[in-house]
Amino acid sequence: MPPFEKIEYKPVTVREVLREMKNLSELMIDLAYSAALFNDKDLAEDVLELEKRIDTLAYHLEMTTMVAARDAKDAEVLVGVSKVAAATDKISDAAADIAAIVTQNIGVHPIVSEIFERVEERLTKAKVNEKSVLVGKEIGELKLAPRMGVDIIAIFRENDWIINPKENEKVKAGDILIARGTHEGLRELKELCEGKLDKLED
Amino acid sequence: MARKSQKKFEEIVERFVELKDTSELMIDLAYSSLLLNSKELAEEVQKLEEYMDKLHTEFELLVLSSKFKKEEAKGFLGLIRLGVVTEKIADAAAQIAEVVLRGIEPHPVLALAIEEAEETITYTKVTENSPLANKTLREAKIPEETGMWVLAIKRGDKCIRPKLETRIQVGDILIASGYAEGEEDLKKLAAP
Repeated sequence: MPPFEKIEYKPVTVREVLREMKNLSELMIDLAYSAALFNDKDLAEDVLELEKRIDTLAYHLEMTTMVAARDAKDAEVLVGVSKVAAATDKISDAAADIAAIVTQNIGVHPIVSEIFERVEERLTKAKVNEKSVLVGKEIGELKLAPRMGVDIIAIFRENDWIINPKENEKVKAGDILIARGTHEGLRELKELCEGKLDKLED
Repeated sequence: MARKSQKKFEEIVERFVELKDTSELMIDLAYSSLLLNSKELAEEVQKLEEYMDKLHTEFELLVLSSKFKKEEAKGFLGLIRLGVVTEKIADAAAQIAEVVLRGIEPHPVLALAIEEAEETITYTKVTENSPLANKTLREAKIPEETGMWVLAIKRGDKCIRPKLETRIQVGDILIASGYAEGEEDLKKLAAP
């Protein structure tokens, strides 16, 4: 059992921490389903790491809201913040449960994965072909979200996962991308990766 | 593989995907209920929570009655556990919605955190001159045009969960999720 990080009070910006908890919890769910779907232990381990991060954030947020409440009226308003933060924590726990299915070697049946990939419309995995127009471009400049409503949540490269890649991360041939978004957008992204589509439309 | 068992697997996975999608829709609706401080939306989340319970039971019964071979069983244990997780996510959504139903005034930081998140939630009222007015969702092609996904339509005191055939009316409030970049596009379409 790895040691838990020691918690000490430090003032945090509630808004920023809540935003990070919301972002992370949703990212974790998508990554965890991807790990289960593609039976990927490394990705599952990364989800478990993120779960620790959320736990730490939850402690800091709770302490800050406690200190912020000066009277009964404050407490009434802040209890909502506290409950919502606890819910994002619960969502991240759920993601960790999914990851544990993979790390504990239970996994899901390959047939399940195959059908799942066909039926599920919000997540996809695509390998970047060397002919793809995406090669050499930075994720930020591709503007995938405004163009087609998709977001790259992880890249598998040289036996390692890059989680939530930054805007200036360049796509390389051979990368495996995991993306989430609208059905139409994901289909387009897949075609771009495979080199079947060679133009990024606005 | 025999065609009969392939069909059975398909059915099980389809049921699971419905559980997964419903639990994720609940999360989005729950955040929306906070953002709009809307009891109608929060009640919708609670209704979906009951629906989830029913779906989940049906899913588990279907898996249990599928007579798997020993070597297949482990892979389906994974699926059963995934089902339990969707239930946990639904609970978390219900917990968020409960804040609204308990009459706790959502703290302004909650709305800010939701609006500034990567996957944001937005709402916009459909005006008379909008090209969306009187179109069905299928015709309106909102995801293709904006990258935003309509989660719910608030019409007066009612909350409608949209189907492709649902017709958008003037005065409807569209509640949608997606990446922040699509928000402006949606607002321009709904209220030009």
